[in-house]
Amino acid sequence: MHMTMRQTRRIKLSVTYILLAVWTAICLFPIYWLVITSIKQPIAVFQGPTYLPWVDFQPTLNAWKFLLAGPVSSQVSRSWLNSAIMAPSSAALAVGIGSLAGYALTRFQYFIPGLKWRNNDLAFWIISQRMLPPVVVILPYLIMYQVLGLVDTHVGMILIYTVFNLPFAVWIMRDFFAGLPRDLEESALIDGASRFQAFRIIVLPLAAPGLIATFLFCLMFSWNDYLFALMLTFSKATTMPMFVAGMGSQSYGPQWWYLSALSLLTIAPMMLIALLIERYITRGLIVGAIK
Amino acid sequence: MSTQPATDTSIITPTPARRPQSRRFTEDRSKHIFILPAVILILLFSIFPLLFSFTLSFMSWDLSRLAGGVRFIGLTNFLTLVNDARFWNTARVTLMFVVGGVTLQYIIGLGVAILLNQEIRFRRFFRVVFLMPMMLTPAAVAYGGRMLFNEGQGPLNDIIKFFGGPQIPWFSSPTLALPSLILLDTWEWTPFVMIVLLAGLQSLPPEVFEAARVDGASDWQSFRHITFPMLAPVSVTVILIRALEAFKLFDIAVVMTGGGPGTSTEAVTMYAYQVGLKNGNLGYASAIAYALLIMVIISSTVFLRTMRQRAVATAE
Repeated sequence: MHMTMRQTRRIKLSVTYILLAVWTAICLFPIYWLVITSIKQPIAVFQGPTYLPWVDFQPTLNAWKFLLAGPVSSQVSRSWLNSAIMAPSSAALAVGIGSLAGYALTRFQYFIPGLKWRNNDLAFWIISQRMLPPVVVILPYLIMYQVLGLVDTHVGMILIYTVFNLPFAVWIMRDFFAGLPRDLEESALIDGASRFQAFRIIVLPLAAPGLIATFLFCLMFSWNDYLFALMLTFSKATTMPMFVAGMGSQSYGPQWWYLSALSLLTIAPMMLIALLIERYITRGLIVGAIK
Repeated sequence: MSTQPATDTSIITPTPARRPQSRRFTEDRSKHIFILPAVILILLFSIFPLLFSFTLSFMSWDLSRLAGGVRFIGLTNFLTLVNDARFWNTARVTLMFVVGGVTLQYIIGLGVAILLNQEIRFRRFFRVVFLMPMMLTPAAVAYGGRMLFNEGQGPLNDIIKFFGGPQIPWFSSPTLALPSLILLDTWEWTPFVMIVLLAGLQSLPPEVFEAARVDGASDWQSFRHITFPMLAPVSVTVILIRALEAFKLFDIAVVMTGGGPGTSTEAVTMYAYQVGLKNGNLGYASAIAYALLIMVIISSTVFLRTMRQRAVATAE
C-alpha cells in the first residue's frame, strides 16, 4: 500500500516534468528558430527546414553584418534608438503621473457632484480607458496631431504612450499604495511636512518595487506597440516594431534571414525585461491588482 | 525622517485656528494637484477623441475628394455598415479569433498553472521561460509565426511529417489561416492567463484540499469540485481581460496573413485602418471603429451576465 502510493506519486511527478518540458520547448522553439534562421545562408533557408548549426547547415553572420554595418544600418539604429528613447521616457512619465494619482486615490476622498462619483468610480473610469480599442480614438489623434504639429515627433509619441499606459499605472500603483502602512507619512505630516514632501521622501522609497515593476510593464507595452506608431509616424520617429513590420511587406519580402535578425533585435530588450520582471510577478505585485 | 523642526514649534506656539485652516487648505490643494495630471491627460486623450470620432461617424469626410469637405449625413454610414458584407466578415473573424483564442489560452493556461503550482524543482527557470512569450513584440513574433507555419520551409510541417501526419496548408487555406493566427496568439498570451491563474491557485486555502484528500477525493474530484469553482472569480477576470485585448487584433494579423487569403483573416481594426487611412474615408472608418466598440461592450456584458447567472445557479 505504502509502496504503491509512492509509485503513483513518482509517476505523477514524472508526467509533470515531461509536460513542463514540452511547454518549455514550445515557448522557446520559435525564439530558437529566429536565432538559427538569422545565421542561415539564403540557400539553406530555401532548401527546407534544418535545425542544427554546423550539423545541418553552415552558419554565417551575413544577415547581422548587413543590418548592423550594411546600407540599412542607419535606419535600423535610428528605429532602435527611437524605441529605446521613447519607450522608457513614456514609461517613466506614466509611472510618475500614475503613482501621484494612485496615491491620491488611496489617501484622499473625492466626490464629483454631477456624476455622484467617489474614489472607486473614478478609479474604474480610469482603468476602463484601457479597454477601449485604440482604433476608435486613433483617427482623432491623427487629426489632433496634425493640427498640433506632433505627427512623427518624439514628443508626440512619448505623449501617446504615456496616456496609453496611464490607466494601467494608476491601477497598479493604487493597489500598491493601498497596501502600504500610513503611520510613517502621517507622523511626517504632523511634523509639518507637506503632502508632497511626505510622498516624495517617505512613500516613494517604500513603493520602489511597485514603481519598478510598473515601469517595466509600461516599458514593454510602449516598446511593443505597432498601431500607434503606424498611424502617427513615418520617418523621424518610427519605432522598431514598425520598421520590422514594414520590412517584411516591402523590399525584404521573404528574406527570412534579415527578418529573423531584425525580429531578434526587436525582442532582445524584452527578453531581458522578462528576466527582470519575473520576481515582481512572483511576489503577486501585478497579479494582485488584476484580481 | 528629516522634516523641518521649525514648523514643529508652530504647533506648540499658539497661532490658533490659522494653522489647521492652512493645513486644510494645502491638503485640499494637494488633493487636486495629485490627481489632476492623470485626469486631464485621460480626458484630453480619450473623451475628446471619443466624442470626435462619434461625431465623425455621422459625417461624410472623404480625403480622396478635394472639394466637398465635411458633410453631415446622419445615419448613412451606419446604414452602409449594416449592408456591408466585408464588415460583417471582419466582425465574424474578430469574434471567432476572440472566442477561439481565449478559450484555448484559458485551457492551456490553467493546465500549466496547475503544473507549476506543485512542489517542483527549477521553478524559477520555468516561470521565466513560460513568461517570456507575452513580453515579446507581437509584430516580430508574427514573423516567427510566418516562418514556423511556412509550408515548404517551416519546421511545423516538417515535424508533423516526422510523426507521419499530413502536410498542412496553414495560411494558404482560407479555413486554416484563422486557426493559425489563433495558435500564434495562444503562444503569445497563454503566459498571461497562466500567471494570473497561478496567483489565484496560490491564494486558495490549503486546508480545503487537505480535508478533501482525507475524505478520499481523487485529484480529478478535488479539481472539479474545489479548485475550479474557487478559481471562478479569477477565471472570469482573466478571460475578460484577454478578450478585451483580443478584440484589438491588428499587428499579428497584419504581419502574419495581411488579412488573407482573400479577407479570411481580416479583423475589424484592419478594415477600419484600410478605409480610414488608405482610402481616406474618415467618416465611414469611424463608424466601423464605433461598431467594434459596441461589439466589445455587448460581448463583455453578455459574458459577465452569463457568468453571474451561472454563479447564482451553482450557489442555489
